[in-house]
Amino acid sequence: MTTKYAKLVDTTRCNGCRACMVACKNWNDLPVDPEEFKGSYQSHDKCGANTWNMLTFTEHVAEGNRFEWLFRHTACFHCTDAACVKVCPADAMHFTEFGTVNTNYDKCIGCGYCVQNCPFGIVELETHTDENGTEYELAQKCVMCVDRLREGDQPACVEICHMDALIYGEKADMEALAEERLAEIKERFPNANIYNPVGVEGTQTFYLLAEPPSVYGLPENPRVPLSATVWKDYAQPLGKAMLGVTTMAVIGGYISNKLFNKDDHGADEGEESNE
Amino acid sequence: MFDLSRRQFLKLSGATAATVAVVELGFNPNEAKAQANEYKIARASTTPTICPYCSVGCGILVHVNEEKNDVLYTEGDPDHPINKGSLCSKGTSIRQLYTSDRRVEKPLYRAPGSSEWVEKDWDWTLNKIAEKIKKTRDESFVERENGITVNRTEAIASLGGAALENEECYLIAKFMRGLGATFIEHQARI
Repeated sequence: MTTKYAKLVDTTRCNGCRACMVACKNWNDLPVDPEEFKGSYQSHDKCGANTWNMLTFTEHVAEGNRFEWLFRHTACFHCTDAACVKVCPADAMHFTEFGTVNTNYDKCIGCGYCVQNCPFGIVELETHTDENGTEYELAQKCVMCVDRLREGDQPACVEICHMDALIYGEKADMEALAEERLAEIKERFPNANIYNPVGVEGTQTFYLLAEPPSVYGLPENPRVPLSATVWKDYAQPLGKAMLGVTTMAVIGGYISNKLFNKDDHGADEGEESNE
Repeated sequence: MFDLSRRQFLKLSGATAATVAVVELGFNPNEAKAQANEYKIARASTTPTICPYCSVGCGILVHVNEEKNDVLYTEGDPDHPINKGSLCSKGTSIRQLYTSDRRVEKPLYRAPGSSEWVEKDWDWTLNKIAEKIKKTRDESFVERENGITVNRTEAIASLGGAALENEECYLIAKFMRGLGATFIEHQARI
């Protein structure tokens, strides 16, 4: 078991400056995603193929008629039991040595299964055009700046954060830090909780939330869709096993035919064959 | 069609099944291909600079591809005592100051009363500024006030910007005092 690394998002420290969004676009050379003004400071509805992380701005009235403006840095969660990796038929979605989930664009066929199955609605397809003018699609999402990690750098969003709302390190250390912070903020945010959903066996982007996940529009208990589990964990292995059984049957049949039935069936044809 | 004997048919079926089985059961030739995710700034030359926007004066590292004369990435300078590697969203976007196609690359001049901006070269612009300074200073210079020598002009003011270093600020202050300007200000005081 390799060491897992994780990004802790302490939403109670975030001041909503959006430097993480800009840093992500800057490092990954992502084009702009222009959006209309929708009556909120929130720039985009959700993460997209060219906006790998974004801030949600939630207006929330907490107990005692206290107004809270909740910011949440949202990006790919990098689930331990990742639905996108499970359903990907081309092995394009894969786990890296850091426990994060990455897309291999050379293998991606743009089928969109990952888009349909992501419990958090993060992955999106982007249309590209090759030099012959042929259009093709690729599944794009946050890759936790894996090229930076391999050089010993931190992800671009983490490095830029001046509030230390984003912290990156070994998962165990981050979990301990999250507990420590939770104890510190419990007085001000009695509903504070750590969002590291067990339904997907924990995520490599996990949160210290000031309010329950539903307030932020997060699923309380996200899971890999049942259809994906049934198909990939049961139906497909069974199908492959069946193939093996069939192959063995063919080989077995051939051998038994050769050994025992030579005189009866194989003889006349066998003599004429020129192997 | 193909003239297959029973034996050949069985051999072919077996080989096909075995191939399909091997492919389906996990052998993948692409696996061996290394994933070439090249580190974007591996061959870049890096220059430290100061953020030009607000008065905090954060340190920024600019990673440049010198062959293509292009800025590849800008990030907070981890060794800078003010920001220690972090930046705000505006400072993070400084790469676009250079790469944006909307960047103004030549001095623009709008004559008094005109509504049009005209592109001018630097020589013309600097001479124009010098002329204006000379004219304003000559017209507004006060040598004595209430019998005291003051040698000042109140018609010229200087406002320093956040991108200026200590040394530049020193030279600007010297220059302004030389002109007799008394209103010398810097953005870092806000």
